[in-house]
Amino acid sequence: MNLSLNWLREYVDIPKKIKAEELGQSLTMHTVEVEEIRSEAEKFKDIVVGKIIEVKKHPNADRLQIALVDIGEEKLSIVCGAPNIAPGQKIPVALVGAVLPNGLEIKKAEVRGEVSKGMLCAPDEIGLGDDHSGILILDKNAKVAKPLAEHFKMEDTIIEVDNKSLSNRPDLWGHIGMAREISAIHGLKFKDYSYDLEKDSCKSDCEKLNIKVEDHKDCPRYMAVSMKGIKIADSPKWIQERLLAVGMRPINNIVDITNYVMLETGQPMHAFDKNLVDKIIVRKAKKGEEMKTLDGENRKLEENTIVIADSAKPLAIAGVMGGEDSEISSETKEIIFESANFDFVSVRKTSNKLSLRTESSARFEKGLDPNLCEKGLARAIDLVKQIIPEAEVSSDLVDHKKFELNLGPIEIELDWFEQILGIAIPTKKIINTLNNLGFSTEEKEDKIKVAIPTWRATKDVSIKEDIAEEIARIYGYDNIPGSMPKLEMSAPIQNTELKLLRKIREALKGLAFAEVYNYSFVNEEQLKKMGIDSSDYIPLANPLSANQTLLRQKISTNLISNVVTNQARFDKFSIFEIGTVFLNHAGEINKDNRSEEKLPYQESRLGMLIAANKDKGIFREAKGAAEAMFRELNIDIAFCESSAQSNWSDKQAMADIYLSDGRGSSAGVLLGTISKLDPKIAKSMGIKKSVTVMEFFVNEILTTSNKQQDKLYKPAAKYPALLRDLAFVVNKKIAFSDILKMIYDHNDYIEEVELFDVYEGESIGADNKNLAFRVRYQADRTLTADEVDNIQKELLKKLSEQFEAQIRDY
Amino acid sequence: MIEKINNLKKEILDKLSEIKDSKALADLEVFYLGRKGEFTKILRDISNVVPEKRAAMGKAANQIKKEIQEKVNEFKMQFESKETQEGEEDITLPGVKFETGHLHPITQLQYEMEDLFTSMGFMTLSGPELESDYYNFEAINIPPYHPARDTQDTFYIDSKNKEGENDLVMRTHTSSVQVRAMQKHGAPLKAIVPGRVFRSEATDVRHEHTFYQVEGFVIDRDITFSHMKGILELVGKKLFGPETKIRMRPKYYPFVEPGSNGEYTCFLCHGKGCNLCKKTGWLEILGSGMIHPNVLRAGGIDPDEYQGYAFGFGLNRLAQLRYKTDDVRLFNSGDLKFIKQF
Repeated sequence: MNLSLNWLREYVDIPKKIKAEELGQSLTMHTVEVEEIRSEAEKFKDIVVGKIIEVKKHPNADRLQIALVDIGEEKLSIVCGAPNIAPGQKIPVALVGAVLPNGLEIKKAEVRGEVSKGMLCAPDEIGLGDDHSGILILDKNAKVAKPLAEHFKMEDTIIEVDNKSLSNRPDLWGHIGMAREISAIHGLKFKDYSYDLEKDSCKSDCEKLNIKVEDHKDCPRYMAVSMKGIKIADSPKWIQERLLAVGMRPINNIVDITNYVMLETGQPMHAFDKNLVDKIIVRKAKKGEEMKTLDGENRKLEENTIVIADSAKPLAIAGVMGGEDSEISSETKEIIFESANFDFVSVRKTSNKLSLRTESSARFEKGLDPNLCEKGLARAIDLVKQIIPEAEVSSDLVDHKKFELNLGPIEIELDWFEQILGIAIPTKKIINTLNNLGFSTEEKEDKIKVAIPTWRATKDVSIKEDIAEEIARIYGYDNIPGSMPKLEMSAPIQNTELKLLRKIREALKGLAFAEVYNYSFVNEEQLKKMGIDSSDYIPLANPLSANQTLLRQKISTNLISNVVTNQARFDKFSIFEIGTVFLNHAGEINKDNRSEEKLPYQESRLGMLIAANKDKGIFREAKGAAEAMFRELNIDIAFCESSAQSNWSDKQAMADIYLSDGRGSSAGVLLGTISKLDPKIAKSMGIKKSVTVMEFFVNEILTTSNKQQDKLYKPAAKYPALLRDLAFVVNKKIAFSDILKMIYDHNDYIEEVELFDVYEGESIGADNKNLAFRVRYQADRTLTADEVDNIQKELLKKLSEQFEAQIRDY
Repeated sequence: MIEKINNLKKEILDKLSEIKDSKALADLEVFYLGRKGEFTKILRDISNVVPEKRAAMGKAANQIKKEIQEKVNEFKMQFESKETQEGEEDITLPGVKFETGHLHPITQLQYEMEDLFTSMGFMTLSGPELESDYYNFEAINIPPYHPARDTQDTFYIDSKNKEGENDLVMRTHTSSVQVRAMQKHGAPLKAIVPGRVFRSEATDVRHEHTFYQVEGFVIDRDITFSHMKGILELVGKKLFGPETKIRMRPKYYPFVEPGSNGEYTCFLCHGKGCNLCKKTGWLEILGSGMIHPNVLRAGGIDPDEYQGYAFGFGLNRLAQLRYKTDDVRLFNSGDLKFIKQF
């Protein structure tokens, strides 16, 4: 919102010594954020008054003329297309370098072979209305070479306020409200607009307007009055200047007055041509109703939209925009002024639905004070009478209202302010601040009773904390010193999940993994390529793009997409992500505390991925990374046959990852899965690398980790251990875990079995693999070599019987 | 016997003087002094000498062995120091490459914040990213059709409750955890909530729909606005250096009253005004305020007994300032060209 400093000055005495910058700064520090302060003259920078000396035809273009223009220091030759120029006229000249309000930059140019040094301006080109019929002809007495801004006596300063920072302050959407605020901040005199509707009322032959409000919930207040003797014309210059200064286009006197009143008081106004309206009903739109709004759009109205209608049709969308049918035109002789208050929720809904944001809807949806209707209407009548002396009120004042405001008073113990703010502010200062803001106060012993002014009572101020904010912000947050509370010491409850995740991250960092973040969203197409059925994925109601429509159920999906991002730049890489997945069934977290309903199930997952140019070994490398990471958590894992269906996994290389029983088999707790990405699927996704992905359930890791005992020191064995190597060839299909289990189960003296080599190659047969183990024998006495050799011999026999293992001798 | 030993000594010393490398020296050592070496054999023969002479002879023989051994060691040292000098190192060559990992820059910042706050006794809490309208909005004093919802373009989940409304959202702020935390832990309460939040906003260099916040709140009997300012000053100094100041000014958030934003002295120009801080000397970093009594009430805490403050930091904003990244989308890009810089 733009504020005109001159306009503000009408309502608050701002001494010259307070500069606009200071005002902007103080508004920012105490009330709302000021985005920019600019002199109004700036928009006419490099535009001066010129005098046309001669006009001649352009030699190469029928419609163009060349004007020789005196701008004081020199005479410029300027090509011009407008027909209305003649020698002797004073006109605005935009010099080379000027940037017009519409963004056009003036450059030295050649127009059909003739040099043109500047531009003569039409009114619309310099933001002075719509007129583009010809060059703006200035007053005869205009002084050549004078900057145009000076000629127009533009000496206003514009303070632009961030609208977002006004969303809780319906009272600040007009200059009067801001003036009050400035008066409170700087301790200046505030001069409110005073009015007397009674005095303005119709004295004789008063018409009774037929106006009905169907439901006061939609429209807490509807005030209206008609005025006759209206002559539609341009507004006087001072009104136009004000409107232009804050960026609003002048239209005609009546429309300009409604806008002026809104910008000044904050109350949106509407004027109907009385002859086009037989009666006024505020009601809900009927099914199928349509209307053409003032912007020329034909709008279908929803049934809950509040409209202003006559007996036949809707005339306006309440609080949002008027309609063309009852628009003020040059023919208008009599008008009805509407100054009303509409339900802010409804206005907001309607404006959102229609994507139609207007100055009016922006104000109504903040929850305007219903009492503001009076001030708006009074000011409008006042202005019409000033501008059109023949005009007079021709009807009784209509005032349909039903609303309640909580005006307090709020009773507050005076020392409570210190309790909440942490600083003692003198009572006198508290009272002054509140009074300057329009709160009336009554001090009673150690309490204060604060009555809320009507313009702050709709939604803004209702509790003592609101009052504390008023005092604190005017006092200045900057003037409240920071301090530290005296609190009891206590050790915070640990978040074991976050602690675990941090450990995991540190471990993976140590293993040369890089952490990535991906969006929580996936799309159907992506899932389809991976052979994943998306029907059970939770969809967004309002996705931003077709790429991000569903909530992820796996970390792996987007992690795999990261391969495409990185494959060109890196030969091999390891990445991980920790994030939430969302499943389409009820979880354990309550939706609210009123029902037993649950939020959809959500859990943290850890995804790990290794991608490399060649397949060679990355599946086992990934396993190794997982083992190493889990070692950090003191968890031993085992890889077991995969139980799940996964269309995107290479069937030859997928496994479930379990907590290990310490001997290479599952201890029954599923921690995650590992799989190689199917090469065909990879290709369809544009992936040129071999990829292995793992996905872990953080909850399961956490539970497992919580149960895990601390690492315990094992004293060195008293008796020497004996080591024996064991190597044999078996069919590839025989699982390592089965062999390992057999070795462990074979004899109690076998304490540790370590696989130290796996070999596959033609020399041992294509279907075979060679496994080499180192077996550690340990007992509570000294084992003899013979004893162990015998045990090992038995073991070899068992291995060849059960797995057809061919023993290789070293 | 002694003569035999002395002859052998001479033989050994002669051979030693001709030896050129440590390999030959080692062979020589084994040949004479090893377990089955010539010299050792002679020493063994001493046991056959008559007992009267044995002690003296043994002593003498050992003395000679010691001398030889010392001589051998001398040569050994010479060769070793000579040989290691051969094949000189280019000491300017870099080391063999060890691949190292990387934590996401936002993770790193988040940990920094977590560490700061836990050191002051704060709990670190998490909450659901897919949240109910109730906890994300209503419970923290943002009723339906509150204008504050304007500024928070919300991702809604495509599912409807009994009333036919979309009542599930992707949380728009970590403030959604406030009331959950109060209900679970009650007062007094000191907690921070780091996490991922969502706004339905088209992405470009400056806008992201998925970003990260750290929320914090303190509830106790005598917590004041001044205490809030105290802790936020401390955070500023920790993040941007000991000279950092805080500037607070009124800002409206429905869940706090009084409400405030927080700006820190621009760390680049130290408050003088530069492009980073848009010539203001200040960087807007956080939102804060005294927790609204309605929010305390929703959390089952009596606002007449307890009061508290809450604040929220945008981690993306902090990361962008600290690392001077020019495109906010990099954080969620999965692009290792970016991640590997941290």
